[in-house]
Formats: sequence, C-alpha cells, structure tokens
Amino acid sequence: MPRLSSSFAPTASRREFFKVSATVGITAAAPYVITSKALGDSSTPPASDRIVMGGIGIGNMGKGDQGAFLNRPDVQYVAVCDVRQKWREEAKSRADAKHGNQDCAAYIDFRELLARTDIDAVHIATPDHWHSIMTIAACRSGKDVYLQKPETLTLREGPLMIAAARRYGRVVSGGSQRVLGDYRGIVDPIWAGEIGNVKSIDISVGGPSMPCYLPAQPTPPDIDWDLWLGPAPWEPYNSGRCDGNFGTGGNSWRSYVDYSGGSLTDWGAHHFGGAIFAADLRELQPTGVTYHPAASDGKTAGYVSVTYPNGVEIFHNRPAHLRPVPSISHQGSIQIAGDGKPRAAKPVPLYRNGETSIYGDFIECVKTRQRPFRDIELAVNTMTAPHMIAIGYRLERSLAWDRTSQQFRDDEEANRLLDRARREPWSIS
Amino acid sequence: MPFDPATLDAPFEALAAYDWGADSAFFKTIDAAVIAAHADTALRKGLESRFSRLLSGGSSHAAKEYVCRKLMMIGTAASVPPLAALLGDADHSHMARFALERIADPEAGVALNKALGMVSDTLKVGMISSLAARRDTACVTVLTTLLKGSPMLAIPAANALGTIQSAEANQALAAADPFAAEGVGEAIVNARLACAEGLLAGGKRADALAIYQGLVKSAAGKPDAKAIELAATRGILACADAVAAAS
Repeated sequence: MPRLSSSFAPTASRREFFKVSATVGITAAAPYVITSKALGDSSTPPASDRIVMGGIGIGNMGKGDQGAFLNRPDVQYVAVCDVRQKWREEAKSRADAKHGNQDCAAYIDFRELLARTDIDAVHIATPDHWHSIMTIAACRSGKDVYLQKPETLTLREGPLMIAAARRYGRVVSGGSQRVLGDYRGIVDPIWAGEIGNVKSIDISVGGPSMPCYLPAQPTPPDIDWDLWLGPAPWEPYNSGRCDGNFGTGGNSWRSYVDYSGGSLTDWGAHHFGGAIFAADLRELQPTGVTYHPAASDGKTAGYVSVTYPNGVEIFHNRPAHLRPVPSISHQGSIQIAGDGKPRAAKPVPLYRNGETSIYGDFIECVKTRQRPFRDIELAVNTMTAPHMIAIGYRLERSLAWDRTSQQFRDDEEANRLLDRARREPWSIS
Repeated sequence: MPFDPATLDAPFEALAAYDWGADSAFFKTIDAAVIAAHADTALRKGLESRFSRLLSGGSSHAAKEYVCRKLMMIGTAASVPPLAALLGDADHSHMARFALERIADPEAGVALNKALGMVSDTLKVGMISSLAARRDTACVTVLTTLLKGSPMLAIPAANALGTIQSAEANQALAAADPFAAEGVGEAIVNARLACAEGLLAGGKRADALAIYQGLVKSAAGKPDAKAIELAATRGILACADAVAAAS
C-alpha cells in the first residue's frame, strides 16, 4: 500500500478519532488511556488540537527551532532525528523534559521519522544540501514542513519543492525569522509609499561558498558520516567541514560549496529576504544577472547585480562610491533608493491570525491550511537572487534568465550550474 | 589577455599528486584557466586534454574529484570517454556523473545509458538519477523493465519516469501498479501525478484529466488510499481551473 496514504491528512484523522471515540463510548476506557495532559487545561489545548511534530537536524539552528516549537502549548513534540548522537540525545532530553515523559523517539535516519503516521509536521534544520530531498520526502509522506533558510542549494531544487508541496496540499514554510522580525524599519515606510517606487537596492553581505580542501581526520564514532554527506560528494571527515557554527570563513559547513551557498545565501537569505519583501518583489524572479568586473585602477572591486522585471536592481556589495544616496537603510547592510514619487500605501502582509513569530505563523497555517508568510514559493523566488549572483561571480559574466523554462538564455555553461548530480542513492524528483 | 597555457604545467603536476589537506594554492591558476576557457576554444581543448590524462592515469582520489568538478563546467564530448570509464568504479562513479550529468553533449547521455546496463545495482541508482536530470528519453525502455523489479531500482525508475514525462514514460507508468508494495506504488503514483502536472502545464488538459481520473478510480474502495484520491482530486480541480482560465 502506498506509504503516503495513511498519513496524508493526519490532523483530520487524529481529530476524527477523538471525535468518534467520544460519541461511540470508547471514552469508557478513558481513565486508563487518556491522561489529564491529553485532555488539556487552561494553558494547554487537548491532544486533539495539538500539532504533533518532529525535528530533523537538531544542532545549532535546529536547537533554536525545536525550542520555539516546544514552547508552544499547541505542539506535541514526539521525535527528533540527527546523524550526531550528542545532538540527538540532547534534543530528546529537551523534549522529554518539556512533556514530562520519555516518549520522544530519536532517529539517525530521517526516513524512519517520516514513515511515522502520527506526525503532522516536521521542522528541518540540516545543512542546505539536504533541504530539498527532505522537504520533498516529507511532503510525499504527508507532513507539513518548517524549513530553515536558505531553503534551496541549487536553482533546480526550488520548483521541485514547490511542486511537491502543492501536489500533496502541504504547508511548507521557509525559515527566515528575520524577514518580518528585523526589517520592519524599512518594510513599513516602503509599503506606506514613503519613498515612492523602489529603484535600486544595495545589499552588503559575504560572498559565495568555497571549495573545501580540509585534510582527513579520524571519523568520530558518534556521527554517521555517510548520512551526514548524503547527496554531497564523498569527502573525508573533518570537524571543520561539518561544524554547524554560523561562520563562513572556513570552519563550518556554511563555508563550503557542497553544503551551502556561503554567506551570500546564509545571511543573505535574511538580507535579500528583507529587501525583497520590503520592495514587494517576492512574487518575482530576476530577469538576469549583471557582472561588473573590477576596475583596472585596482581600487574598485568587482560586484554582481540582478534585475527584476519591474526594473528594480539589487546590487551585491557594490562599492560605496558607486551607490546612490539611499532613501532608507537597515544598519548599513540594506540600502534602498526610491524615486520619491507619490505612491499609494499598501497593507504589509503579516503572520497569520495575529501570530507574532514565524513559528506561530507556521503552526497556525498547519491548523487552517492557509499558505504561510514565507510560503515555499515566495522563499524559492527570494533565494533565486543570491543563487544567480553566485553563478555570476563564478562565471564572471552577465546572464539572462527565463523564468518559464527555469534556464539561463543562450549560456550552456551557466545552465550546468543550475543543479549538481547527487551521490547515489539520493536524488530529487 | 590570452591565458598562457605554459603557466599550467606546474599546477597540473602538483594536481596529479594532490591529497586533501595539502597545499592547494595552485588550484587558483587552474580555476582561472577554466573561467578563461569560456572564450578561448584552444585553451578549453588543452585543459580537457590535461584533465583527461589525469583521469586515466594514476592520479589521487582527491585529484580525480577536482578534475570532475572542472569538467562539469567545461567538459565536452572529448571528456566523455575518460569520465565514462569511471562510472563503474564505486570510488569515482558519482563524481564522473557529477561531470557527465551536466555536459549537454548527447555523448554524455549515451555513456550514462551504456553504464546503466553494466554497473552494480547501487551505482545504477545513480545512473538513473542522472539520466532523469537530463530528461533522457533513451533510457525509458530500460526503466520500464526496472519498474517491475526490486524496489531498490523500481523506485528510482518510477521517479525518473515522472521526471522524463515523455509519452512512452507516461505509458509505462500507466501500466504499473499504483499499489505495489515497499514504496514502489507511492513512487508510481507520485510520478503519474508529476506527469499529469506536466501535461496540464503544457495545455494537454484532457490527457492530464485522464490520469487524475484514472488514479481516483484505482483508489476507489481501497483502504488507506485517501492520499491518492485527494491528490488526484486536487488535480481534477486544477484541470477545471485551467478550463475556467481559458474561457
């Protein structure tokens, strides 16, 4: 029997069970099987109204995500998965401590967690090279997904992730808590029409990821190294290769091209996300990339920009002396220039139902089946910009993008960089 | 200024013996040459020749991996034979695909198809994945046969057919059992849904509708088939939306 079927509508079937059991007398056994926690109290909804969750990739950022979901009374957290024993056990302990039991299951292989039919939703915070595979698998097994940014590692992955979410009617939220949380200082005035129409955006953030040439080290016994690498090329273990710290200077997976897009897509997911939201570009994808080579005077470094169909251009690390005077800025990392012409105000899209965090927005959407604030399609569109900029830097030339075909026009070499072959047995479809 | 090929001699000598953790400064020269090769046919040919010699010779594991990454960017039909020779080697098969999957020349597809019939089952999964990424229709007959075999190959075969989406791929999936055991049925259903979406996006609404309706019919009365019914019903509604949008 197809595995996806049994858990395709998990919340409905679970609630139906409680509803049916209450009406046909199954509650006669209630004192023995339903605890007071299951029934809920003034601060905790009954079990039938809680979202059953698990987490995959539970180290640095996954730990934070787990904490956010654990702190919600409407979440029952039942499973964790990580290829590292220490993080797996610590995450289980946190969940068990929160729920006052020993029920949280711990898995090494995410496929075992996804095979469970009692789980409604998962959060994923693995390194980026796993994001698309896990998200698509979760959708196919009937789970909603909260996916840490950057949601994609390659341009080909995005449309496949969107298709999986739509095909199975899943709620898939991207995971930048900062897009709405940190950038209201630029978002609100722009949506209010205060700077007119946005003309250009300058974003200052680190560059693309780099190759990893670290030496081999003995593989520690508490990590499943083959599963950590997954679809990425086989490379010898090195702690710097797989450390989850937030640096991108060479001592974390965020530094390296096989696992991450580097600062450009990591912190860039926040900065590009905030700027693209502020300029109301989330529905769009760039029409092309412009490579600006370094000046021969040796004083002006090269940089790259992307242009949107409405003419807005986003520059990455454009030298300061070439920038226009910004109309508005965010801590120097995002500078936005408008034309100053009068423009009607628009209401700023917010998290659903008054929720105050992206985690709450996701849970609310799991319950109501609405699309979340950072719906996967908007997230994919957003990440298209830094991915294209990375390709512009790599090839050192300008490129034109055809959104319909998801290909670069007339540049076969650029199209080679849309994706990469995954190590067997992993693939995406 | 044209790239001087002579500057590559020392870096390529160092590359042959390179191992992870060794001094990698020489990579910069080769990387720059690869970028410059975009506008320099002679340089590209020369680089491919040097890379091919490294693949065929006794260079290190790390060196071969580096070479495959570079051939992914600039490889042509000339690079296919040395890459194809690595497809059956468990240590290098993936990186050979890393290059071949992205080389547009049809020779790359021919090499992957040939390997599909020769390599171990574990490596076959990789060939299927790369052929699917290329949307290579030449493999559909083999994939159709694999659909009926072990789940280890039937699942990737179904996934690939759902990506290739040719008429022949559609037919193969239509003839397969959407309730096959051990995950195969789930992959077949997913592939059929993907094909229907492709047909609908291509304006072939009636063909898409037929797939969705067929899935609903096959799920009728089956326990635990609600997922198929829901996904296919969603597709039927999308077909109706397409009609409404067109009228």
